Amino acid sequence: MLLKRVVASEGEQVEFREGRLLVDGEELEEPYVRYPCSWNLSPRRVEKDCVYVVGDNRNMPIENHHFGQTSKRRIIGVPLW
Amino acid sequence: MKIKHLLVSSVIVVAGIVVIITLIPSEEKRVKRQFALLSEWVSKSPEENAFTMLQKMKNIGTLFDERCEMKIPDQSLSGSYTRQEVSTYAGGARSYLSQLDLKFYDLHIIFPEKEMAKVNVTARITGRSTAGERMDETRELECVLRKLDKQWLFSQIEVIEVLKK
Repeated sequence: MLLKRVVASEGEQVEFREGRLLVDGEELEEPYVRYPCSWNLSPRRVEKDCVYVVGDNRNMPIENHHFGQTSKRRIIGVPLW
Repeated sequence: MKIKHLLVSSVIVVAGIVVIITLIPSEEKRVKRQFALLSEWVSKSPEENAFTMLQKMKNIGTLFDERCEMKIPDQSLSGSYTRQEVSTYAGGARSYLSQLDLKFYDLHIIFPEKEMAKVNVTARITGRSTAGERMDETRELECVLRKLDKQWLFSQIEVIEVLKK
């Protein structure tokens, strides 16, 4: 089981620029990210019935972090606090 | 007297059925058992001796169909492998590790056809290389097992991409 934050939904475009997360070209405010990163990821659109998830802990190289889009059917719950 | 005999007979029959159901493992339990064995035989403790290593390698092959389709891009495994190839590959991979622990979680088993089981499962591999590097990988797998000679054997193993960057 993975615990990830949903940052974008179906049809939205996601991108990382020098560690800043952009959704549909707008930078997302992410006060929950404790350690800055310098990730770069070219823009990609979230597919139908999918969400885009990223973890809050980003102090590792982008290739070592498990994130990306996944089917909404895989969501089984939310954190209680 | 006749009623008493009838009641006793009924109790014995019911008890017999319960015992049979309890003792004879269901097909689902038999499939789960194959995963438990794979976990046991792939795993490796730092104290493992050469005899145990050879025995486990040999045993791993017995869990697989004559040919098994693999799609495990992380390990550059793609295509059809014989039992012997699976054993040899497992042995080679284990030799790079001083400690290895394979565990399966959340097994979801369906039987889409007679003598065929499709299993979605989460596999977690933790361990340490002989150079001391830690390893901790979790993957979702889709496996197909076929029943041959009363034994469930792995005939397909595919890593499912859960998150697509």
